[in-house]
Amino acid sequence: MIVVITALTARAGRARAALGRATAIPFLVRAGIALCGLVAVLVAWPQPLLAGRNLALLALIAMYPAVAPRGRGATVAALVVVAGWLVDTTVFDARIALWRVLALATLLYLGHTLTALAAALPFDAVVNLDVVGLWLARALAVVLISAVLTVVALGLAAELAGPAFLVATLAGLAGAVGATLLVARLLRRA
Amino acid sequence: MIEHPPREPWPGPAWVPTRALGRSVLLTGLLLVLGVALGRVDLVLLAAPFAIGAAIHLRRMPRSAPEVTIGSDDEHVVEGGRIEAALTVSNPDVIAYDLVVVRTRTSRWMRLEQADRPFAVAVPADGWAAVELPGEALRWGRQDVGPAAARVAACGGLLACRPVITPARAVRVYPVTDPFNATEAMPAAAGLVGNHRSRRTGEGGELAGVRPFAPGDRLRRIDWRVSLRTRDLHVASTLSDRDAEVLLLLDVLGEVGRSGGVAGSASVLDTTVRAAAAIAEHYLQRGDRVSLLEYGAAARRLRPATGRRQYLTVLEWLLDVRPDPVEQDRAEEVFGAHHVASDALVMVLTPLVDPRAADMLAQLTQSGRYVVAVDTLPAGAAPQNRNQWTPLATRLWRMERENVLGRLREHGVPVVAWAGAGSLDLVLRDVARMAAAPRGR
Repeated sequence: MIVVITALTARAGRARAALGRATAIPFLVRAGIALCGLVAVLVAWPQPLLAGRNLALLALIAMYPAVAPRGRGATVAALVVVAGWLVDTTVFDARIALWRVLALATLLYLGHTLTALAAALPFDAVVNLDVVGLWLARALAVVLISAVLTVVALGLAAELAGPAFLVATLAGLAGAVGATLLVARLLRRA
Repeated sequence: MIEHPPREPWPGPAWVPTRALGRSVLLTGLLLVLGVALGRVDLVLLAAPFAIGAAIHLRRMPRSAPEVTIGSDDEHVVEGGRIEAALTVSNPDVIAYDLVVVRTRTSRWMRLEQADRPFAVAVPADGWAAVELPGEALRWGRQDVGPAAARVAACGGLLACRPVITPARAVRVYPVTDPFNATEAMPAAAGLVGNHRSRRTGEGGELAGVRPFAPGDRLRRIDWRVSLRTRDLHVASTLSDRDAEVLLLLDVLGEVGRSGGVAGSASVLDTTVRAAAAIAEHYLQRGDRVSLLEYGAAARRLRPATGRRQYLTVLEWLLDVRPDPVEQDRAEEVFGAHHVASDALVMVLTPLVDPRAADMLAQLTQSGRYVVAVDTLPAGAAPQNRNQWTPLATRLWRMERENVLGRLREHGVPVVAWAGAGSLDLVLRDVARMAAAPRGR
């Protein structure tokens, strides 16, 4: 028992020291990760399930990558958000609204890229503003291109009405080919 | 038999995929598979930013590793003075580094601004970025800036470079010299050039007296006023000007006391080095020859020379002074009086903690050298308090040390505590007087 208490006290001391050394920009980046995760969960999961203990657990999972950006927490958080989205649209039969797809895509990608930044950025670093500025500008460009694609694709799907399955298959196949090419290129390089 | 050279270990790729790349690929693949399987466009669209982001970022990939260099102003830095160090990260690649985290270690005697923190900068393609580390050098010596390490993330954090480490760079920090001024005569001057008036009459500038003209005297030495008054030729005799050799013997058998840098308390080696620099500066400015010798295992030596060049050499030599203990049974091999020129003024800078130092002083005096001992022990030096007997033991040790100092004084070794300007004047006068007495013990 005493050993546990000592370990906990030591850990708390280290955490306090770390907090004392923390600088503003890495802290803001991590706050951004937590915010993106939290909002993504709120957007994705069905309202009836977002209550009480469920909400606390989901919020914890969504915000965990902010604390440990180098771990697998970000992948788990993104998968939880996708799972919530699937549950809402299949079990609860929610309508696939454009704003929700846009918001989810944006939040998931921002959370992912901010986690990548936080993983490389020590919490006590002195950061030049251009680092974060350029990083966010690139992320926003990606988000913007995806948003345009989303609007066009969903509009196309609505127009075609019936063969949404076909659109999904075509888009999915195109994406899969792109991803395969990317992985092949990476493998060749290694 | 043919020997094959040992095969070098295969160097791993400098750039490795990060967890962000794995996450990107996993989410893209999973969402695409789900989208196709369930016939859902929205899932494919959720994957779109990840796929687009990876495609944009990985369209060009880095090939070469970054270079980190540590720079510092190599001008004359004296302890307590300002120093400008800088870490420069250069990017020889064709793509920009999105994030470079560079950090460095520094010697504890360098107080550089925020040097204990990592710095995050972005470096453009084929460019460089510098992190300025202005600060202050707190203590003499060769103080390290570095080693520095840089980690680079490129392609939007999807690829990272293995840490690049640059070895430390030593910055020369010279000891601050307490102004020192000794006006007393040197005990024994050597050559016929120099600034010291000798005890002998000869060609020089200092008036020794007026005496009747004798064959061999130069005509320009004739003192016409006295000659007219006395109606006999008189000449003004002068003392010849001579230079001398000063040997600074530095006791480096051990370090005592805690150094607090230039503004804090001085340890034995701090006092030794600063005093040696001040004494050397003083005598070199006067045109004397100064040499240095370490009383330690390595017994480093600096040959006697004169002038400003020698002063700079002395300062450089002093930077490498560090404790250099000698085993008890090897003390005799390390140092002998034969290392010391017979007419040199020997200034021994010693804390007189090791009994061998006192023996060495006595030995030098016995062999007829002009010796001055400069006590470098800090005033409040005491061992760490371990138990109730420590204060008593310390007192006993202090009394014993006083005893040794007294005995040394009795044997004609002046011992003086270093207190900067003028602390040696009185002692040097005594030594000069001693030297004037007939020798031949």
